[in-house]
Amino acid sequence: MGEISFETAAYAKMILHAAKYPHCAVNGVLLADATKIRDGAKNQDVDIVDTVPLFHHSHYLSPMAEVALTQIESVAQANNRIIAGYYAACENFKDNTVDKCPGQKIAEKIAEHFPSAVFVVIDNRKMMQHLVTAAMKLHNFSEGKWKPIDHNNVLFHSRYVLDTVSHLLQRGVQKDLVDFDNYLDDLSQDWTNLGIEKLIASINASNTIDCKED
Amino acid sequence: MSYNFEELSFSEAKDLLRKWRENNERRSDDVIELWTSVISDNVAKLGNEKHLVLEQVMFAALDCHAYHIAVMCTCMLSYEFPNSMRVLRYDAAYNEAKESYGEALETLDKIIKADETNAAARKQRVAVLKSQGLINEAVKELVDYLKKFMSDVEAWQELCGLYTRQGEYARAAFCAEELLLHQPHNHLMHQRLADIRYTMGGVDNMELAKSYYCQALKLNPDNMRALLGLFLTTNNLLLHYKSSGNASKRKELWKLCQWAQSAAARRQRAARAAPATPDLTQAMLALAIHE
Repeated sequence: MGEISFETAAYAKMILHAAKYPHCAVNGVLLADATKIRDGAKNQDVDIVDTVPLFHHSHYLSPMAEVALTQIESVAQANNRIIAGYYAACENFKDNTVDKCPGQKIAEKIAEHFPSAVFVVIDNRKMMQHLVTAAMKLHNFSEGKWKPIDHNNVLFHSRYVLDTVSHLLQRGVQKDLVDFDNYLDDLSQDWTNLGIEKLIASINASNTIDCKED
Repeated sequence: MSYNFEELSFSEAKDLLRKWRENNERRSDDVIELWTSVISDNVAKLGNEKHLVLEQVMFAALDCHAYHIAVMCTCMLSYEFPNSMRVLRYDAAYNEAKESYGEALETLDKIIKADETNAAARKQRVAVLKSQGLINEAVKELVDYLKKFMSDVEAWQELCGLYTRQGEYARAAFCAEELLLHQPHNHLMHQRLADIRYTMGGVDNMELAKSYYCQALKLNPDNMRALLGLFLTTNNLLLHYKSSGNASKRKELWKLCQWAQSAAARRQRAARAAPATPDLTQAMLALAIHE
């Protein structure tokens, strides 16, 4: 069983997306660093470096999902990344399982192309302004089903990840997150969320400086 | 867009609340913040909007689980309208938020028994079922409701959403067609129906999707979803007619496909080439006129 690691920005975007639309189901895709992936190997280490928030309404209709996935794939390829997983949060507060999530077909398609794909279900019950746990349940695809992953195999690049994301939530940064639905409404919006990435990078930088001073 | 709530004047806050109320925006946390920082000390100054604002704040408070605010608003309203069904319904909403679904349904049933034409209470029953995750029951209830209140656009929209969620696209398409009859000039309705037809797949559905996307674009040329959808459908149909060898149809589709692609590309380029600067030139132009 391989290890799954998350970049802070990748994790933050998932949580912020769910926080921006607390009354909707949301979904998106995970992008991994392609240089560390061996072709066709199963159960390999996956390094999730970025996520793309997709939709918060019309989850069960396919045209816009097709458009989004083709666009994301071409952008990801140019940056040497591959689509390596899927995340979703349910509309209903108590639903925290894969079967209740929208877009399972998308997730299965991703798993078809990339067998070590990860399915992240955001755990609504553990979402709060001061995150105590990562608030997500991870699954990988084996024998035609999504099976839960042992959380010991999940790593974060930064040990301040929960503090950083909690800080963003308290500051209301979720309002500035752009998902693909926002982009389709207004094409000048940036679904790669470069602004949030920069913000996180600066927080990370100041964290490491603080560390050195300690 | 974010506001600095403490700096807003009372009338600005009031206008903002009205805007959100009328546009049906669900900005519950902002509503509560406005309420606590600006409005709550001056409720009497709200004038004839007072009751509407109290209702809006009450629902927002339930959405944010700020029960003390919700109870306060309900108290103020029930003091003025002691036997109102509308106020009784807040009680049901309160129980729904607290997940006492049984009590919520009981209250709603009481309202419906007293007033059979109370549409809001009937719809809230559907919402209670939905929040319990009982989608099939919610669908049944909503279908019953629509038999009695056939012209409720909002309800058709919800039913359409529930059916797509269940994967019953043919029924969802029926609801979308019903919506189209109610609002024939709304481009979003055309686009929605096209999206459903596209999802259903098959040549006939693709042809229908193509027509509805075209109509949506005719009504609103800026509908990017319709433009991209049209590109996808024409592409799909081209592939099909290639094998069946229908030359004239293919030529027409080819033209449509090319047009959709170039229009979409143009729009994307325009959006990318337009950072902050045009706003500035616009502002300059506006100034020039005043001079």
